[in-house]
Amino acid sequence: MTDLLSTMNASASGMAAQAARLRLVSENMANADTPGFHRKIVSFEAINSMMSDDIGVQTGNLQLSQAPLNRVYDPGHPMADADGYYDGSNIDVMIEIADAREAQRSYEANLRMFDQARQMVSSTLELLRR
Amino acid sequence: MTQTVNVFQLASQLAAHATKRQSLIALNVANADTPGYKARDLTPFADSFNSDSTMSLRTTRPGHLQSSFQPQNAEVVTESNFGAESPNGNSVSLEDQMVRASEVRMQHDLAMGIYAKSLQILRTSMGRS
Repeated sequence: MTDLLSTMNASASGMAAQAARLRLVSENMANADTPGFHRKIVSFEAINSMMSDDIGVQTGNLQLSQAPLNRVYDPGHPMADADGYYDGSNIDVMIEIADAREAQRSYEANLRMFDQARQMVSSTLELLRR
Repeated sequence: MTQTVNVFQLASQLAAHATKRQSLIALNVANADTPGYKARDLTPFADSFNSDSTMSLRTTRPGHLQSSFQPQNAEVVTESNFGAESPNGNSVSLEDQMVRASEVRMQHDLAMGIYAKSLQILRTSMGRS
């Protein structure tokens, strides 16, 4: 039973981590046209507790992508330099969409695991009703 | 009667094995995008049941003590799934984990079914229905 409860904790931590990732993706998407915006990326790491080695997953430190900013040609833009270029963001919308879809898949898989653990708990408790 | 009780023990150990496996699979799924994470699983229940550890007793006559099965025999192994490893060193394949999870589900249902049915038989033998 404790195994099943720790299972649910692990799945919940997975869902939380994927949700945080999805939030960053949507922030990136929203700022795709913001001049000078760097893409926010986050990596996952296993949670270690004193009792056992890993009990779930969490998001690591937030990092900014160091990829070069897109140079956009727009002489009429207020931030344009002498050549007519200004620094856009370094966000590729296709990559963000792919990332969002991957986060969604992983979130669903975690949810499925959570639901299965819940059903296993309830089928165990069902034995008490007999 | 003792036979039935043995069935209970076996069923609960099967359920315990399924539960432990489920927790490992859930960890694998949660870490599906963690760089460098290696997928883990338990050795199959049948293997741990048959494993002749050095602690087991030899039975050459019907009167000899039977060594009881210990669920601790199942060990955690790191799965090496050929071809499923990502460039970041993660070896979790979600499809594979889903298949394993449904195996676990069936194993747990089986254990619960056996337990419930044995309970029912025990009640019937006591004259209740």
